[in-house]
Amino acid sequence: MPKSSKGTKKNVATPSPDIKIKINGTWHNFELERDITPTMTLSYLLREKLGYTGLKVSCDEGGCGACTVIMDGKSVLSCMILAVETNGHEILTIEGLAKDDPIVEAFAEQCEPGYGTALQCGICTPGFVMSTRALLDENPVPTMAEVKEALSGHICRCGCYAGIAQAVTHASEKIAKKGEAS
Amino acid sequence: MKQPYTPRPNSNRKFVGGYRPRIDAWEKARGKVEYADDITSKTRFPDMLYAKVLRSPHAHARIKNIDVSRAEQLPGVVAVMTYKDPEFTSFRPTNAGWTDGVDTVSYDKKMWADFNDRRVLGDYACWVTDEVGAVVAAESEETADEAIRLINVQWEVLPFVLDPIDAMKPGAPLIHPDMTQTNVLPPEKMGGEDVFLDKGDVDADFAKAEVVVDGTSIHHNATQASLDNWCCLVDWTDEKLTLYSNSYEADQSRMHISEMLGLPQHKVTVISSYVGGQFGRGDTGEQPFFLFTAVLSKKTGHPVKFKHTRRESFHDSRQPAIYYGKVGAKKDGTITSMYFKSIGNTGAYADHSIFALKFAPLEISEVSFAHIPNVKLESYAVYTNKLPACMMRGVGNSQFNLIFGHMVDLLAEKLDMDPIDLCIKNFGHEWETLPNKSLVEVLNQGAEKIGWREKRNKPGQGPIYDKTKRRGVGFSLHPAWHAEWQEVRRGHIPISITLNPDGTVILNAPTVETGTGSNTCNVLGCSESLSFLGVTPEMIHWNHVVNTDTSLKDCVQTDSSVSYLQSEVIATAVEEIKREIFERAEPVLKTKAKDMDIVDGRIFVKKNPDQGLTIKELLFQGDLVPIVVTRSRLANAEKTGVPYFANFAEVEVDTDTGKIDVLNLVVINDCGTVMFASGAEAQQVGGQVMGMGEALTEEIIYDELTGVPLNFNFIDYKIPTMADMPEIDPILLEIWKGAGEYGACGIGEGTLTCTPRAIMNAIYNAIGIRINDIPIKPEKILRALGKV
Repeated sequence: MPKSSKGTKKNVATPSPDIKIKINGTWHNFELERDITPTMTLSYLLREKLGYTGLKVSCDEGGCGACTVIMDGKSVLSCMILAVETNGHEILTIEGLAKDDPIVEAFAEQCEPGYGTALQCGICTPGFVMSTRALLDENPVPTMAEVKEALSGHICRCGCYAGIAQAVTHASEKIAKKGEAS
Repeated sequence: MKQPYTPRPNSNRKFVGGYRPRIDAWEKARGKVEYADDITSKTRFPDMLYAKVLRSPHAHARIKNIDVSRAEQLPGVVAVMTYKDPEFTSFRPTNAGWTDGVDTVSYDKKMWADFNDRRVLGDYACWVTDEVGAVVAAESEETADEAIRLINVQWEVLPFVLDPIDAMKPGAPLIHPDMTQTNVLPPEKMGGEDVFLDKGDVDADFAKAEVVVDGTSIHHNATQASLDNWCCLVDWTDEKLTLYSNSYEADQSRMHISEMLGLPQHKVTVISSYVGGQFGRGDTGEQPFFLFTAVLSKKTGHPVKFKHTRRESFHDSRQPAIYYGKVGAKKDGTITSMYFKSIGNTGAYADHSIFALKFAPLEISEVSFAHIPNVKLESYAVYTNKLPACMMRGVGNSQFNLIFGHMVDLLAEKLDMDPIDLCIKNFGHEWETLPNKSLVEVLNQGAEKIGWREKRNKPGQGPIYDKTKRRGVGFSLHPAWHAEWQEVRRGHIPISITLNPDGTVILNAPTVETGTGSNTCNVLGCSESLSFLGVTPEMIHWNHVVNTDTSLKDCVQTDSSVSYLQSEVIATAVEEIKREIFERAEPVLKTKAKDMDIVDGRIFVKKNPDQGLTIKELLFQGDLVPIVVTRSRLANAEKTGVPYFANFAEVEVDTDTGKIDVLNLVVINDCGTVMFASGAEAQQVGGQVMGMGEALTEEIIYDELTGVPLNFNFIDYKIPTMADMPEIDPILLEIWKGAGEYGACGIGEGTLTCTPRAIMNAIYNAIGIRINDIPIKPEKILRALGKV
């Protein structure tokens, strides 16, 4: 069931919205048909209607991972979810991450000799970052096998898997350090 | 802990060659960079329409009749146009030769002028999914799709042929009967005759050679599979036309749009933002969709967007090639003759097949076989009704390496010689005596890293693991491309440096940013050149958007060489920047230019170093006008040969299941000069995904009865993921050096050239049976072992 949104319930003159989705911490209200059609995917809603172009749509059929966002703490493929299905749920896109998010930092900084960078053309990167975020939220110190398992639904055609794996390890270390500091 | 590379002694670089993040790393990691699909979203162009094109359901067919009335009546459809409309009948026929050159060319000067086999919108389809017949513009993508489904076409279905050998036979269906009466592309001036190199007399030498080996290898239609599907938006709603695209070349797009549509160049603007992976994609004829999208924009008075679905982006592929090779040698391992013949399945359109099948092997022979007295190269590019093929990360080189590395391994075995010694003994370019220093170092370091001497057993004779598994090691070697002298045909390379009054820099060194890392290489080159001003990479802004109205001509992302070409030009601009600074400092320091010097951003009088000021102090004293220096020059033509690179592989083959596990890959590149170590290693490591995919899992599969491709999607076209990739050791060397300040050479394309053959030779070493057609799937192993 949709969670309540206090702001809209006060306004008794307008009918309650058909669909409410919490995106990057803010509830958004949508009217069925006008804003969201029954066949509209979550990726389409986020990119074309709301301008969250950080997620990318490449295969549009769940085969590449580029459109990954986090729904209620789990990484999901936004091209494989209908927008209407997310009614009442919480969505986090890459735009919702803090500027100094340790995962973003680790992906950007990776230049440890022998592994290459964690990104080249960068089109798959937001998907990898979001899956890593979901992985580390659940399992802060994953083994390499767990990292590979968690990220093997993503394609990086530039082939930066080794750099990405290093970035995940470094992100895990950064998170641990932040935890110690706080 | 892996080790950083060892720079050439006394190179003393401050920035070039360093390990550091890419200049765009933070924006990319945060999802902030914008690709063509992002800058053309509905939120930016609320009144835009979506274009779709009719695609042939048949492998070979001609439209007899077309009825678009139902499509026109669909609500939301704004325009339906067909091949009969004058906008389309007036287009000249074209080919790929003027959209994938490294230089900008006009219609009249384009390559492959003999193969004008492309139409912007014709009535004739040569492969399943060929764009043909009709285009629509509609308010939504779904409506446009539905409109295409409502078009009623009466097809004249023609006989088709998929196999190039069949297509060469008399009586085979002709793919382009209006142009040629044979499916074999006729000899033309760029690629030369069918026998395009005939040095010495190979036949006579084979007859007397002490040892002769021969064999075949087969390379297939791998696809580039950039995640950034082809996309463009054209706004031609007034007299000026603006194209937003993810093509990797902006200036050439402007040229061909200008010439095809008869618009003066200043009325055409091409804007290219970040591209999500290129890998050679782009030889799609003259990118006809730019033109039909433009026509639809003009017709409807709206901006129009055209974007491939992932399925439609299976649009280009590597040139498949069946190679036959034969090599003659003396018993001491001296190669005396080499003969290579190829038959290439060029697919539905000629595109750049000749580049892959003739040009590339000719270049390789020039820089590697110079000491072999008898060399003959022969090739046939053959039209079929398959996906058009050509450019993919290293045009023609992977295919040639597949047979070249095969011949090396075969001959070494027959001579009972280490193939490393065989390579050292024979290969090099004409401007040196053997052995080639680069080649020796590349092979020795690779051998050491993989454990060549410990792990190399007699074929199929190594120890058995887990009852059914055998291991083996193999390698393959190739000459690098491109060194600067090979880039002269590119024409002038312009750059411009703006030194701001506060000492920061705007670098105008345009190239479409496709992920290669050339942007970071050239920012490092710029800071290296300007380090006398105290400039660091962080003080340089590099503009990532190419806009043909305001940018210099873009340096096209081909040949892996943008990584150093612009830096070489930047290095030659330093004297002019100094001259301008001294000119401005003369009245301030009251000293002649020849008596001044600049170190770490401070200008001073040589005789009295205390008398001086910083660059900021100088420029802030004046009119605050930045110093702008623009330079343009051709690549340095001094012939320096090229360095070498190699891949070594260790594999484990399960003889019960046929499963192949690649245990380790070693990638060794002599770069001349490493421009940007982290980027170079990313290319080395990253290239293995594509190379291993081509070798083992990636393959386009057709229904042979209909010609319908069956796996144009990322589920069934198997690209390796993180879970599939083995440990990879990248090794960077600085042995060879080209002309110029850096004397670097490209490495990006080459990093995967040797991977398939290295894996194949390792498989042979493991199980003692050769399988020479890729991808090597488990069933091929089991078949070779006689188990199925």
